[in-house]
Amino acid sequence: MDARRARFEAQVLPHLEAAYRFARWLAHSRTDAEDIVQDALLRAFRGFEGLRGSDARAWLLSIVRNCHATAYQQHKRRAALPLPEEDDAQHAHVMVAGEPDPESLTMQRDDERTFERLLGALSQEHREVLALRELEEMSYRDIAEVTSLPVGTVMSRLARARSALKELWLKDTEGEPSGVP
Amino acid sequence: MACPEALRVQAYFDGELEGADATAVQRHLEGCADCRALVEDLARLRTAIRRDLTPVASPQLRARITQALDAQTPAPVTVLKPRAPRNRSFWLGALSGVTGSALAAGMLFVLLSPMLGSALQDELLSAHLHSLLPAQLIQVESSDHHTVKPWFAGHADVSPVVADFAGAGYRLVGGRADSVDHQRAAVLVYQHGAHVINVFSWEARRGGIARETTRNGYHMIFWTDADLQYCAVSDTGWNELSALVRLMREQGVREAHP
Repeated sequence: MDARRARFEAQVLPHLEAAYRFARWLAHSRTDAEDIVQDALLRAFRGFEGLRGSDARAWLLSIVRNCHATAYQQHKRRAALPLPEEDDAQHAHVMVAGEPDPESLTMQRDDERTFERLLGALSQEHREVLALRELEEMSYRDIAEVTSLPVGTVMSRLARARSALKELWLKDTEGEPSGVP
Repeated sequence: MACPEALRVQAYFDGELEGADATAVQRHLEGCADCRALVEDLARLRTAIRRDLTPVASPQLRARITQALDAQTPAPVTVLKPRAPRNRSFWLGALSGVTGSALAAGMLFVLLSPMLGSALQDELLSAHLHSLLPAQLIQVESSDHHTVKPWFAGHADVSPVVADFAGAGYRLVGGRADSVDHQRAAVLVYQHGAHVINVFSWEARRGGIARETTRNGYHMIFWTDADLQYCAVSDTGWNELSALVRLMREQGVREAHP
């Protein structure tokens, strides 16, 4: 393995999970998220020299964010916005085709549904700050760096995002005893 | 609902405040029921997000990315230069094949093996497991904080919040000193139903510690309070462990501002 690849595997690849978590929160489906992560990692590999001493995870996550923005723009430009129902059916189909294990299939479907239900109605701006804070446990300053926002905006957006998600969650679990937040 | 301090309370919850700022918020929390409710909400939402909305990358994705990277990397076999090509080409060919697959296997292992966690978590988990061995759990047996707290003064480097929560189902059964992060940590031992909960505390010297994690089926929750780093470890459920952590944090606030 060449030295560059070895360095990349040591410094950047360990953040693949973080990249996927973030992409999954930003994108509308598992498959979109996977495409974004692959795109992001290849770009990261090509632009690896630009990393220098900075935080590899924050750097990779900002690339993920850019890749998602690009994919999202393209998706919008393709116009003819598919109805949400159609979209769901498509993704369900893709998953069935790719996943033979019935148990993991059920798990993934549930997962897909939970994400759609809870995050589907949450704005992009809200999703990204929430994911970076709650899943990646980033400081406000790091979140500001990844999202190119002022720290004050990160703070107020985070507050709004949290109350928005809480509302969605309450609506979602109404009547269920295990309704958590 | 919207207390003007809400944003600062959120920043406190997120660990963004230190020293006097944190103390000011703690003091505010004592007097503001709305903000206490906010903290509870934030904690519950965080737990729910981590439980239900933490996706995991599939092995297929990892494999796909490895392939894509391979396509951009010169094949490792080209590194081998045959010094004497005559008569040896067969062996070199065989060797390079072996090396190539060994490399590939090594890489696959690196990619597939789960990410290694921090040494600190390992240390805490093994301390917890060790404490469960016969006669290791308790060095000072008491549910009375007037007994346990002074004992720590002579045996540990720190003096944590000590309280019995038997009324809430968490009985303080005693304490012990243990080595954590090169310090003599104070450990509180709680009994909750059939489960033992160890609460480690030591001087907080480093940031970047995960807030919650699960290793080998044992849950760990980390928090800081008044310059001390705490970690509760147990095989009890998340909700049960979180409830004890909440009780201890509230106790910390009470003790800081009696």
